[in-house]
Amino acid sequence: MLEPIGLQHRAAPLPPRVSREAVISLLALACLWEILSHFATSIGVPQLAIPSLAKIAESLTHITFIDLAVTLLRVLAALTVSFVLGIGLAVLFYHSKTADRYFTPVIRLLMAVPVISWILFAVLWFRSVEFRILFVLVVTCGPIFLVDMLDSMRGTSKELRDMMQSFRPSGWQFFFKLMLPASLPSIMTSLKINLSLAIRVVTIAELVGAVTGIGHQLAIAEELFSVADVFAWTLALVAALFLLEALLGRVETRVLRWRP
Amino acid sequence: MSEPASIEISGLSKTYRQTTTGQNVIAIERLDFTVAAGEIIAIVGQTGCGKSTFFDIMIGIDRPTEGSISISGKTPYGDFKSFRGRIATVFQQDRLLPWRTCLDNVKLPLELLRVPEREQRARSLEWLHRLGLEKFVNAYPHELSGGMRQRAAIARAFVLKPAILLADEAFGHLDEVTATELRETFVELARECGSTALLITHQLEEAIAVGDRILVFGRPAKLLADIRVLDWPMHEHARLRESIQATLQGRAFEMRVASA
Repeated sequence: MLEPIGLQHRAAPLPPRVSREAVISLLALACLWEILSHFATSIGVPQLAIPSLAKIAESLTHITFIDLAVTLLRVLAALTVSFVLGIGLAVLFYHSKTADRYFTPVIRLLMAVPVISWILFAVLWFRSVEFRILFVLVVTCGPIFLVDMLDSMRGTSKELRDMMQSFRPSGWQFFFKLMLPASLPSIMTSLKINLSLAIRVVTIAELVGAVTGIGHQLAIAEELFSVADVFAWTLALVAALFLLEALLGRVETRVLRWRP
Repeated sequence: MSEPASIEISGLSKTYRQTTTGQNVIAIERLDFTVAAGEIIAIVGQTGCGKSTFFDIMIGIDRPTEGSISISGKTPYGDFKSFRGRIATVFQQDRLLPWRTCLDNVKLPLELLRVPEREQRARSLEWLHRLGLEKFVNAYPHELSGGMRQRAAIARAFVLKPAILLADEAFGHLDEVTATELRETFVELARECGSTALLITHQLEEAIAVGDRILVFGRPAKLLADIRVLDWPMHEHARLRESIQATLQGRAFEMRVASA
């Protein structure tokens, strides 16, 4: 007789642990950096190009959280718009073979355009800085949601689709009770890919014309030849990305808890 | 509960165009028979005889090339939505949604009918209890054995108390003990609900054990014999089995009760 597994308390997943090897390699990198910063001039590199850890730490204390928050808000807004557009178009292409045949080549073309070209187009086409950033992020992230969602919808087994149809659901019910949950593993993967992509792209987009955000602060640091500040902002961005990825990992564990 | 429904099938044919060869393949060839309300019919036929195509047309997810199926005056394909909550199916594989618990899977048809949440829960729990799954209400499908999953699928069908109950090789992949037990439960519940049931099977023992009538399909699906099981006393069941076997193999065999 099987145990009534479903009634047992499901243990909460443990938070991801940082391995000893990771700590050692990061500490080794920091030590190497510190040594290099002390001998920079003797190897022909200007002192300011390799700032000491103390200088970077000092720059970290000057990080303005408003800029960090603005950048993350832009990422969040762009991911939301990309998600809605991507899923919406995926549903359209799933139901309309004509739309799929006409628009999929365009989407593939858009996906091949380099981010830097999108940034230049945005500067040339739009006046609003916020819209430029949103545009660049959406054209970069939206197609990933679309392609992954469409693949996932098409990959939903015919058996499950027939079972669902036999109960005569409405179009909305068919999508929300079958297609969307069946696509959740793909959606979570696209979210993880798009999160790291968006954080990297938003910084470049902010370099052009933005007066707030991490990209803007990096531009200022570059103008002031402050390598320590560049490092501090980069570290802040990487830390924010790791934090968001960990958060997303928790969400993924929760929403995909049904997987064996 | 839905009103019991009668089924009238006249001149039903289905022809497919094979995508690889471009040739027309006849899956069903002029089927004619009627099923009275509350009757349990077993359909037997060899593998590839078009039983599953017939099943898809009965559910309403495929349309006949010629002829019609009329269920209490309506056609499952043409009047698709009018059968909401009136047709339920049990498939060969359980087709439970893997992201839903046992309880939520059973609730699914009631959710689609927008039955109040409390009633959904109460009715689903009742059926899970009747099928011996009361200890597994919160278990996910992957945590259940094959027999348990099929029980949940049966509960999902019966929770609607449907007018028409369709089962496609529903017990074919289970071990003999579980299959016999579930088959008996299925018949008992179908009689209790007053459902008109069509059970497709390739197992003659199962057809004889379940059906009020047995319809023998040839290949392509056409009616070779229509047998009233009650006309055959228990001690003649071996001969009945033999005669169905002979019919399926195209051998001449007297299809009548020896003692009659």
